[in-house]
Amino acid sequence: MKFGRRAFLQFAAGAVGGTLLSPIPWQLIDDSAIWSQNWWWRPSPERGEITKVATTCLLCDGGCGLQARLVNKNRAILLEGNPKNPVSAGGICPLGAAGLQFLYAPYRIAQPLKQTKSRGDVSGLQPISWEEALKELRTRLAQLRSQGEAKTVAAITGQRPGSMSDLWQQFFAAYGSPNLFHMPTGYDSLELAAAMTAGKRSPLAFALENASFVLSFGTDLLEGWGAPGRMQAVYGLWRKGDDDKGATKIVQVESRCSLSAAKADQWLAVAPGTEAALALGIAHVLVKENLYDSEFVKNNVFGFDDWTDTQGRTRKGFRDLVLAADCAPDAVSKRTGVDEAKIRALAKEFADASNAVVVWGGGQGGLPGNLYDDLIFIALNALKGNFKSDGTVTLSPPVPLAPLPGLAMDAAARQALARQRLDLQQSVQTPLAGNGIYAFLDGAAKGTPYPINVLMVHEANPAYSLPENRLFREALAKVGTLVSFSSFMDETTQLADLVLPNTTALERFDDAIGLPGAPYAYYALASPILNPPAGTKHTGEVLLAMAKEIRGGLAEALPWSDYKAYLQYRVEGLAGSRKGMVSEAKGKPPWQLQAGDLVETNYKDGADLWKKLASGLCWYDAPVDFFQVLDTSSGKLELALNALTAKGLAGAADQVYLPRFAQLALSGDEKEYPLLLVTYRSMSLTNRYLPNPPFMTKNLWDFMLKGQEVFVEMNPKAAQALGVGEGSQARLKTLEGEVTVRVHLFAGAREGVLYLPEGLGHTAYDRYIQDKGVNANSLIEVQMDPLTGLGTVWATRAQLRRA
Amino acid sequence: MKEENKSASGGGVMGGIIFLAGFVLALIVGWVVFPNLLFSEKLQPLQFSHVSHQDSSCEDCHAFRPDGTYAGIPNINNCKECHESPMGSSEDERKLVEDYIQNDREIPWRVYSWQPDNVYFSHAPHKAKEIECKRCHRDVSEEKTLPAYKENRITGYSSRTMKMIECEKCHAEQGANNECWVCHK
Repeated sequence: MKFGRRAFLQFAAGAVGGTLLSPIPWQLIDDSAIWSQNWWWRPSPERGEITKVATTCLLCDGGCGLQARLVNKNRAILLEGNPKNPVSAGGICPLGAAGLQFLYAPYRIAQPLKQTKSRGDVSGLQPISWEEALKELRTRLAQLRSQGEAKTVAAITGQRPGSMSDLWQQFFAAYGSPNLFHMPTGYDSLELAAAMTAGKRSPLAFALENASFVLSFGTDLLEGWGAPGRMQAVYGLWRKGDDDKGATKIVQVESRCSLSAAKADQWLAVAPGTEAALALGIAHVLVKENLYDSEFVKNNVFGFDDWTDTQGRTRKGFRDLVLAADCAPDAVSKRTGVDEAKIRALAKEFADASNAVVVWGGGQGGLPGNLYDDLIFIALNALKGNFKSDGTVTLSPPVPLAPLPGLAMDAAARQALARQRLDLQQSVQTPLAGNGIYAFLDGAAKGTPYPINVLMVHEANPAYSLPENRLFREALAKVGTLVSFSSFMDETTQLADLVLPNTTALERFDDAIGLPGAPYAYYALASPILNPPAGTKHTGEVLLAMAKEIRGGLAEALPWSDYKAYLQYRVEGLAGSRKGMVSEAKGKPPWQLQAGDLVETNYKDGADLWKKLASGLCWYDAPVDFFQVLDTSSGKLELALNALTAKGLAGAADQVYLPRFAQLALSGDEKEYPLLLVTYRSMSLTNRYLPNPPFMTKNLWDFMLKGQEVFVEMNPKAAQALGVGEGSQARLKTLEGEVTVRVHLFAGAREGVLYLPEGLGHTAYDRYIQDKGVNANSLIEVQMDPLTGLGTVWATRAQLRRA
Repeated sequence: MKEENKSASGGGVMGGIIFLAGFVLALIVGWVVFPNLLFSEKLQPLQFSHVSHQDSSCEDCHAFRPDGTYAGIPNINNCKECHESPMGSSEDERKLVEDYIQNDREIPWRVYSWQPDNVYFSHAPHKAKEIECKRCHRDVSEEKTLPAYKENRITGYSSRTMKMIECEKCHAEQGANNECWVCHK
């Protein structure tokens, strides 16, 4: 018999039938599915014992309680909020939740590096040992000091406020250089505003938990302002409402319909940069219709009525200024774009509210504001009597930690040293001196009156996150050696000559002193959740090691054996004050404390307090009464800037001394650049030292970032006029640069304004972070505040064309 | 015409036989040859006799942590308690002492019931229900040598890894929750 085609088909049919009744196809399908679950790139978590470690989140200065979940005590797998923290109450922001990505990031620096080729060539950054790296820095610092050139050593830090920034100050004072700066923050102008009005250079704080009416001028209440964990809890309280006071009313004043505006009870869309003008309009109605707290103002406010300056000249007070025609609702309406009737209604509602508060602070509070704007908001709070001891505004109370040892230098020597600060040696000088980082960079770029030989950058990335970051690069061209302490290969570190990698915030002892914007005293300790990689070293340890080796008083000024011993010394001092309490189950939470409340101390001694703090509990104490700490010559809250007359501004017009609307002029021709570029922030974007971890980038809408392209938001009507539609490619140009973007039509965007998110456009790190969108800091313009010299940003002239 | 066709290749009875031959052959390949091809037999790094260790209870070695989670296969410290130096003269015990205990190295046991990462399993609720170990694991009370570890060449898991249907079946019988998220978080 021949085995023909037909027989073959019969055999094959049988084989197919048999195969279908065998496990082959079914098992293969199942197995290939399982196989595909185990492809090489899929992370497989280690298995083992799960433990939890409590600490404090220092990824921003919000100081939230944090809890890490570990496997086998050596691999962190989850960060979550610590419910035992009375402020954040188990809350955590997206950055905290994604924080582990920094720990295991491929762009972490594993060991010290030294540039062997030309600056900026990353391939030239070659590994060296810690001994070599420390020796290199120490030799350079010791040499400059012995040559009398200590002042040519400068540093920029991005971490504050905490014991680490205190250690930097101590190191610089002992070493003999005044050139210590920090990255710009909202504190910079708030502290100066407080210094002017209250005579105390400490930031203002708001009892938001007790507020029943919140008037927010552009504050990112839900996008990271203040301490994000606290703000989440506060927002919960506002929305839940108390039995006796009901839900809190929130009014958001800003040009864009941000998340905070969308979730507020009322959104007032003002023209960008005119928030303070609206505040003056409200103040006008309050004063004119006698709706303000006249008794409080009469007894406690200086400069509301006519006043006499230090030269004996009588000057007009705030009442005259605010009652002038340009603060009247019709004029304010024209300026801000808000209906006159709405301004009047809002003023009345504000006046009627029992626990009203005015908050402000430029977005997340990440940048200093126009000092006059700060003063206007302070004035509005003063008109409402919010500075009373049971009011909603006060100064951040001090935390009584052990002070750092005094220096051998006498006061005169210290003053002489301070005067040599590079930013104070430039031709343009302002009446008030703050964190003059821009003037410093300007001086460094010019090299006059002296050059900067060594610039150290710690927990900061100015090459990326400083607005108008080209100024940093320009200054760098003249800087001798750039030393980076970054844990990551960021934009600044790529330009460094020497890299001494720090441990990440989750792997070291560190602390948070005070909560930004919170009225109560707060102290929390961060302890390492894991041992840091062998090749990294806490920058605090580096400073302590330097101090030991460089002779001449440094070792006495920084006498601690290691950073932990330094923190223990500070906590010992806190315990010695016998003030405050540790957050334990019983006891009032800090936000229920009133100024002057005595809390029962619940720790035995320094060691006991340290133990409790290291276990993830925090320390807190009652707020301070504003008028108990106030230190002005009039003994009152000074709305008139009496102190300015002593600062070289004696002969100016009356209004110069008063909270007035003084918008800073923008550069560029309005015809060529007819639009305004304003940046905005999101809880899913971080925009300072840390890059956006991929977990957070995943949370961005595809109309914010799609692939590598960022969207600018614009009003549909304005877009129509320009001939662009949703998703159109366009060229965005400012005086600082030109980029390609896509357009997102958004009815919540103001006509004539373009909105660009902050936190994108990195060029360093890895492919999951770099080249996504554009860096807003490379496009925006910084305006110098004429009173403080601080770099402020409110808008930048821009043009948009179809690409 | 039909005659012709029949003789050209198998028709009728002959066709049936050819069909059956293909059918049976495929069944043999599918049920006998294929399973042997699919799994590779791997040896454990050491032999271990459960019977010789019967003086202690299961949980002395297969311990649970205070929070109820299973600590996994005993680690080298458990072995060290008795085998710091050899107690007998077997080759496997020599290996245990010299290669692992003296070097303080964990024994890389192959785990017969290793579940994939996408399965969340906790022994704790099963223990609380007093389900016997051997309901899911092999009975080792008479076991002198460890069985061969059969590794699926495609998936890399053991042939004894419990499949989802077995979990579901028992959950259904016991009235336990059978929703996806119970095991797939």
